[in-house]
Amino acid sequence: MRFWWLRLLRYARPSIRTLAFILALVLLGSAVTALAPWPMKWLVDRVLRQPGGITHARIVQAAWLAAATVAIFLIGQLALIARNYLLNGFGNRATYTLGARLFDHLQALSVLFHTKRAAADLVRRVTTDSACARELLLSVVIPVATSVTTLVIMFAVMLRMDWALALISIAVVVPLGLLIKASYVPMSKRAREQQETETELMTLAERTLSSVPVVQMFGREKYNDEVFAATSQRAILAYVATILAQLQFKIRTGTVTAVGTAAIMTVGGLHVLDGTLSLGGLLVFLAYLGSLYTPLEALAYVSTTLSSTRANAERVLEVLDSTEQVREKPDARPLSAGHGEGLIVTFEDVTFGYEKDQPVLRGVSLQARPGEMVALIGPTGAGKSTLLSLLPRLFDPWEGRVCLGGIDIRDLRIADLRQAVAVVPQEPVLLPVSVAENIGYGRPDASRKEIEAAAQAAHASEFIDRMPLGYATLIGERGATLSAGQRQRIAIARALLRNAAVLVLDEPTSALDAESEKSVMEALAKLRQGRTCFVIAHRLSTIKAADRIVVIENGRVVECGTPLQLAGSGGLYQRFLELQTTPAGSARVG
Amino acid sequence: MNGFSAKLQEWRPLLKYAARQWRALPAILVLTTVGPLFTSLAPWPLKILVDRALVGTNTREAVSLLDRLPLPADKKQLILVAAGASVVLFVLGILLEAASTWVWSLAGQRMVRELAFDLFAKLQRLNPTFHHKHTVGDLLSRLTGDAWSAYTLVDGLLITPWQNVATLVWVGALAWMMDWKLTLLSLALAPALAFTARSFGRRIKRRAKQGRQNESKLFSLVHQTLTIIPIVQTFGTQTRNREQFEQLADSAISISQRQSLLKNTYSLVTGVLTTTGVAIVLFVGARRVMTGALSIGSLLVFVAYLKSMQAAASGLLQTHGAIKSIEASVERVTEILNATEQVQERPDAKRLDWRSGQGIAVRFENVTFGYDKDRAVLHKVNLQASAGETVAIVGPTGAGKSTLLSLLSRLFDPSEGKVMLGGVDVRDLRLEDVRKAVAVVPQEPLLLPISVADNIAYGRPDATRAEIMAAAETAHASEFIERMPQKYDTIIGERGATLSAGQRQRIAIARAIIRDAAVLVLDEPTSALDAESEKLVMDAVRRLCAGRTCFMIAHRLWTVQAADQIISLEHGRVVEPVAGAVAT
Repeated sequence: MRFWWLRLLRYARPSIRTLAFILALVLLGSAVTALAPWPMKWLVDRVLRQPGGITHARIVQAAWLAAATVAIFLIGQLALIARNYLLNGFGNRATYTLGARLFDHLQALSVLFHTKRAAADLVRRVTTDSACARELLLSVVIPVATSVTTLVIMFAVMLRMDWALALISIAVVVPLGLLIKASYVPMSKRAREQQETETELMTLAERTLSSVPVVQMFGREKYNDEVFAATSQRAILAYVATILAQLQFKIRTGTVTAVGTAAIMTVGGLHVLDGTLSLGGLLVFLAYLGSLYTPLEALAYVSTTLSSTRANAERVLEVLDSTEQVREKPDARPLSAGHGEGLIVTFEDVTFGYEKDQPVLRGVSLQARPGEMVALIGPTGAGKSTLLSLLPRLFDPWEGRVCLGGIDIRDLRIADLRQAVAVVPQEPVLLPVSVAENIGYGRPDASRKEIEAAAQAAHASEFIDRMPLGYATLIGERGATLSAGQRQRIAIARALLRNAAVLVLDEPTSALDAESEKSVMEALAKLRQGRTCFVIAHRLSTIKAADRIVVIENGRVVECGTPLQLAGSGGLYQRFLELQTTPAGSARVG
Repeated sequence: MNGFSAKLQEWRPLLKYAARQWRALPAILVLTTVGPLFTSLAPWPLKILVDRALVGTNTREAVSLLDRLPLPADKKQLILVAAGASVVLFVLGILLEAASTWVWSLAGQRMVRELAFDLFAKLQRLNPTFHHKHTVGDLLSRLTGDAWSAYTLVDGLLITPWQNVATLVWVGALAWMMDWKLTLLSLALAPALAFTARSFGRRIKRRAKQGRQNESKLFSLVHQTLTIIPIVQTFGTQTRNREQFEQLADSAISISQRQSLLKNTYSLVTGVLTTTGVAIVLFVGARRVMTGALSIGSLLVFVAYLKSMQAAASGLLQTHGAIKSIEASVERVTEILNATEQVQERPDAKRLDWRSGQGIAVRFENVTFGYDKDRAVLHKVNLQASAGETVAIVGPTGAGKSTLLSLLSRLFDPSEGKVMLGGVDVRDLRLEDVRKAVAVVPQEPLLLPISVADNIAYGRPDATRAEIMAAAETAHASEFIERMPQKYDTIIGERGATLSAGQRQRIAIARAIIRDAAVLVLDEPTSALDAESEKLVMDAVRRLCAGRTCFMIAHRLWTVQAADQIISLEHGRVVEPVAGAVAT
C-alpha cells in the first residue's frame, strides 16, 4: 500500500500554524539540551580557574551561573510541556476522528463482512489501531526531528571546540547506533514471544472462567491446572529470555559508552595539558557524550515503529476500503405506512448465497398480504432464516427482488425499510443494560408506559416485576441471569414495541414451555392483526395457527398452502406432522 | 507499630509466596549492597583527572582521599590511569546491576506465577454462584494484573528500600567525608521531592483511573456494537451508537489533555527542585573552591552525587506510597484466595464405583436449596430413581428443574436434605468420582473455540481418536463432522457459531457419551431443533441412555412419554402432573 501515510494525513492533518509552532518548540528544546552543560563550563573556566581568591565580583558571577542552570532547565521544560500539550491534543483528535470513521463504516458494512471476521479483531482496529495517525506523528516524525536537530547542534558545537574530540565522539556514535539497532530486533522478538505465551495463558484462563459450570461438571480442573502450570512455566522462560536480552543490551551499550568516555578523557586531558582545550570544554564533551544515547536510541527505533504503524494503518485502511455494504440509492424513496398497518411483502425469484457459487436460496418466490401469517418450515439449513434476513436488507439478493408495498426494497430509504420490519431473532441478543433499555433498544424514545405495555403483551411483565429493581434491573453479561424463555420474551417485547408493519419471528417460542408458549402465541395473534407476519417454527402448535405454510428445502419452496391443504398432500409437511404426532420417543427411551 | 503488624497480617497470604523464594534472598541483598558502592566510586576518576593531572592541587581539603592512593606523578600517565579506572568502574557497576536485576526479576517472576496459578486453580473450583457475581473480565484482570502485587509488595517492602539505604550509606559516607555541610545541603531537598511525588501521584492516579474508565466504556460500546451487527442494522441504531462514540471520544480527549498537563507539571516541579539543588550546590561549592576548601574535582563529584542521593532519599520517603498503591490489588487477590463459595471434599471421602455402561441409583431426600439466602428455589424435593431408570422432569420455566439436577454433579450442596448416589450422600464421596459418574448435556451446549475432537473429549482429555469417533458416531454427529473442512480438527467458532443448534446438541451428546457415566442429565436436549434433527438427537439420546440412569428435562410431553417416571416441578416443589396442561 503506497502512500499510506498520505492517506492517513487525510484524517490527521494539523494546521500549518500548529505544525510550525511545534517545530519551533522542537528546535528550542534541542538548543536547550545542547546548552545545558555550559554554565558548568563557564563556572570552571571563567571563575574557578581564574586566580583571585574569594571576591565579591567572583561570588556574583558564580551566583549568576548557578541561576542560569535553573533558567535553562525551565525554558527547556516549558518548551517541552507546550509541545507535548499540542501534540497530545492533536494526536488524540486524530485518533478518535479515525476511530469514529471506522466505527461508522463498520456499522454500515454488511453482515456478510462481519461473519467472515472475528468481532474482537474489528474492535481492536477501532480502539487500538486507529492510533496509527497519532503514532506516525508522535513516534516517528517528532522523535526524528528532535534527535536530528539535537545531534546536529551538538556536533556543530563540538567541531568548533575541538575537532579531534568531535571525531572521537562520532567514532562512539556510529557503533553505539548500530548496536542499538542490531539489538532491537532480537529484543522485540523476545518481547513478542513473551507476549504470545502471556496471551495463551490469558486465553486459557478466559475460556475456563467463562465456562465454569461445564469445567466442574466434566471434572476438568486438574487437567486445566496442568495446562496452566505448563504454560506458566513457558511464560517464565520467555520472561527470562526477555530479561537476558535486555541485560545483554545494557551491558554492551554501557561498555561502548564507557570506552568512549575513557577515550575522551584521555585525548581531552592531553589537549587540556597542551592548552588547546579548556577544562570546562572537556566537561562539556563528557556531558555531551552522556546525552548522545537518547537521540540515538530514538533514531534506532524509528524504523520498527514505522513498520508497526504501517501495519496498523493498513488494517485501518483495509476496513475503510471495504465496500461490502448495502447501499442506499441517492434517490431512495421514503416509505409511509400507518402504525399497525401491514404491507404486502413479495419475494420474486430470489437467489442468494453467502459464498460465491454456493447459493443458499434458489429462485424463491413468495407473497404475504397484510394480516396474513406465513409459517416457514423445513429442515435446519434449508435457508429459512436467510430468506427472512433479506427483508430488512441485511443482504441484497444476487438475483430477483424483494418488494415491500409493491416497491423494490433497494429503492427505499434504508432507515424507513428497517423501521417497517421488526425481527425476533433465533438467539435473542440482550445487552448488559437495564431491562427497560433492552426492550426500548429499537425505539429509544419509547415511554415507560409503552415499554411496560410491550412487556405485558409478550408475557414478560410478570417476571420483570419480580426482579430486584423491576424494569431498571441490569441484565448480566450475555443475559446470563435470565432463563432462555425469559430472554426470548424480552426479545419479543422489543419487537412488539417497534410497532412495525412487518413482523419476522425466527422460532419465537423454541425455548418456552408449553404454557408460556400458548400465552405468547395468543399475544402474537392479537398483535399481528392487520400486520404481515412471518414465522419460522418447528412446533406444531405454532404452525397450525398460521394462515399459510411454506415448506422450504435446499433453498427452494417445495410446498405452499393452508395447513389443511398440505396435511393431505403427502409431502414434507405431512411427514412432519407424522413425526410430531408419533414421536421419536415412541421408540422407548431408556 | 500496631498498624504495621496488622498490615503484615493482611499481606501474609502474599508474603508466603515471597518466602518460597528465600534462596534468592542472600544473593539479592549482597548484590544490592555492593552495587551502590560502584555508583559512589564512579565520579572519582574524573576527580583524579581534574585535580591531579589538569589543575594541580593547592587546596586544603579536610580529608584528601586521593593522597592514600599510589598514583603516578607523571601527568600523562595519570590521565591514562583515570581513563582506565573509569572504564573498569563503569563496567563493573553495570555488571553488578545486571546481576541483581537478573536474580530479583527471576525470583519475582516465580512468585507472581505461583500466585497466578493458585488463583486460577481456586477460581475454577469456586461455584457458579460466585461466578455469577463477578464478570470474567474482572476475574481475568485479578489473575493477570493484580497477581503482580506480590512482586510489588516485596519490592516495596524490602528490595527498593534496601537499595536506597545502601546508596545513601555509600554515597553519603564518601560525601560526608569530603564536606559534610555540602552533603547536608544536598539532602535538604529530598523531602520536598518526596512530597511532590506523593501529592502529584495521587492526582495522576485519579486521572488515570478516569481515563481508563472512559476508555473501557468506549471499548464496551464498540465491542457490544460489533458483536451484534445484525441487530444494530435491523433496529437501525447506527446513528445513536455513533453519537455515543463521539461523546466518549470527546471526554477521552479532554481527560487525556488534563492528564498530560498534570504529568508535565509534575516533571516540571520535580525538575525545578532538582535543578535548584544543583544550582545551590554549584554556588556554595564554588565559594568553597574559591576559598580553597574544596577542589574543582570534588565539586564535580558532589554534583554527580547530588542526583543519586536525592533519588535514593526521595525513593525511601515514598516507600509508604508505593505499598499503599497496591492495597486494592492485594485485597482483590486475597478475596479470591479466601473465598469459600466452593463445595469441599471430605478428607475421608469414599470412592464411587460403577460398571461401564451401567446406571446407579439416585435419590433426592428432602432437598431444599437456594442461590441466595432466604430465597429457596427448591423446597423439600423428594425423588428416587433406581439404576437404569429414566426420569422425566417437566414444569414451567423457572420451576427449578435445572437447579435440581445441578445438585447431582455437586455444583452446589443443598442447604437441607441430601442427594445420594448409589445409596451414599454425595458429600461423602470423592468429588472427582461424583463428577465422573454424572454426565450432563446442558440446556445451552457451551462448546469451546477449540477443535471438534477436543470438544468431544472435553471431559476425558486422554480419549483416543478412535473413541472420539465412536462417540460421534453414536451421537449421530460423525456425518456432519466428516463434511467439515478439517473434519475432527476443525476449530469451532466462538460460542459454536458455525454450527447449527442441532449439530451443537449432538456434539454435546457425544461429549457425554465418551465419559461413560452412570447417570445422565439431559436439559431440554431438543428444544431448539426442527423435527428432522430432533429425531436424530432423540435417537442419539436413546443410545446414550440405554442401561444408565437418566434424567431428562423437557417441555414437550411426547419427548418424555417413554420415561419410567414423570416428575412435575412447580415453584420448586414436586406436584402431580396435570394431564391437560402439557398436551401439545
